[in-house]
Amino acid sequence: MIFLAKASEIPEGERKLVKVNGVDVAVFRQGGRFYALNNACPHRQGPLSRGTVEAAAEGAGCFVRCPMHGWRFDLATGDSNGRPANATVYALDQRGEELYIEI
Amino acid sequence: MSIRMEQIQPIIDHEYAYLMAEHPHWSLTKGDQDLELVAHALRVLLHMKTTPQHPDEYLALVDCQHADGGWGKMSSEKTSAAWVTAFCALMLIRGNLSLKNPRIAESVRKCVRYFLDTQKEDGKWSDPSWADLDAVSHPVSFFDVLMAVGPNLVDAPTMVRVRDSWRKGMKFMLERQDADGGWYDPEFHPTGVEITAHLIQDSIVADLVLGDEHQVRNCCQKGVMKLLSVQAADGSWDGENVDHTMDCTRSIMLVCSILGTRAQCDRTIERGIEWILKHKCEKGWPDFPGMETNLERTCDGLDTLLKYKTYSQPVTTALVKLWGYAA
Repeated sequence: MIFLAKASEIPEGERKLVKVNGVDVAVFRQGGRFYALNNACPHRQGPLSRGTVEAAAEGAGCFVRCPMHGWRFDLATGDSNGRPANATVYALDQRGEELYIEI
Repeated sequence: MSIRMEQIQPIIDHEYAYLMAEHPHWSLTKGDQDLELVAHALRVLLHMKTTPQHPDEYLALVDCQHADGGWGKMSSEKTSAAWVTAFCALMLIRGNLSLKNPRIAESVRKCVRYFLDTQKEDGKWSDPSWADLDAVSHPVSFFDVLMAVGPNLVDAPTMVRVRDSWRKGMKFMLERQDADGGWYDPEFHPTGVEITAHLIQDSIVADLVLGDEHQVRNCCQKGVMKLLSVQAADGSWDGENVDHTMDCTRSIMLVCSILGTRAQCDRTIERGIEWILKHKCEKGWPDFPGMETNLERTCDGLDTLLKYKTYSQPVTTALVKLWGYAA
């Protein structure tokens, strides 16, 4: 796994764009949990790190909506709820203060 | 206008040179391409009036059209999709005004059949990649252009079907405008900014055909007022979204020119242009300030400046031509 960022760099409810091995990774911190997605929306490559984070109406799960054309992805799975492609999600491991991802 | 044309023209020249230097990354003559990017680039050629020098670009688009008349997201993709098909169709019908190529004319006729065959009963076209309102507005725009500049491309019975289809599509759009003047899609566009910008420019033509049937002028004026009301103090729209700021700026130019409300919108447009110029990369435009250049956005930026150049010379017909709504 590759070092991504320090947890303290991403306050609760915030996000950070990190380049890892030449790949732009959008890291989100929501509800005390970290999520890492490829920053490029699979629709038109809109930057997910600039997206709006939304909670599910039923209170389960968090989503990011691409700022370009509105595709919405589950932060944990990348699922797009029926759109033609899903976002790429990276496995993330928190080791104390440090975050690592598999990419 | 406080933005001087002497300031705009060198930027247009510089960015066009950059786009042409990037030719291998958008031209179908160089291999498989993203067709939305191709269509964006062909629109720049149209508005730079350089289409006659690039017939191969348009013919290459004809070559990858599917048997059903549509195109997919990538030129190699085999499944047709409504949104990108409309964008390609628009570039071909408009490009052929100068190219006058029979293969392109036949391709446009296939596009017409595609849209007549795929419209739903309620008047919409569906595309899983786009909100229904967007997926409807682009074929409607293609039919706008067909009725304006190409009615002789298809036979009379087909033209009757086109008008009927267009009316159903237009009705689908106009009936879904919110009371506040915006169009929204809870699944794709809760803020509604981009959809509203698209729909007012695609609807305004209906004023000429439908008269007062759907109060089109009123709908478009309300849409413009909605966009004016949500412009940020810095001149941008939708959280410094370069794409949406370009969409709004262009769309308001067209609609206020036709509605005769330029005085009300001049400053808004100017602020939009100022913001767009301020956030340009050294070459091209990004999706958001500070990001890397995006070729598609660069095409949008060029298109916006070319439209602004025309807008600054108050001849409405010249501006309308840049949407293809006049020959």
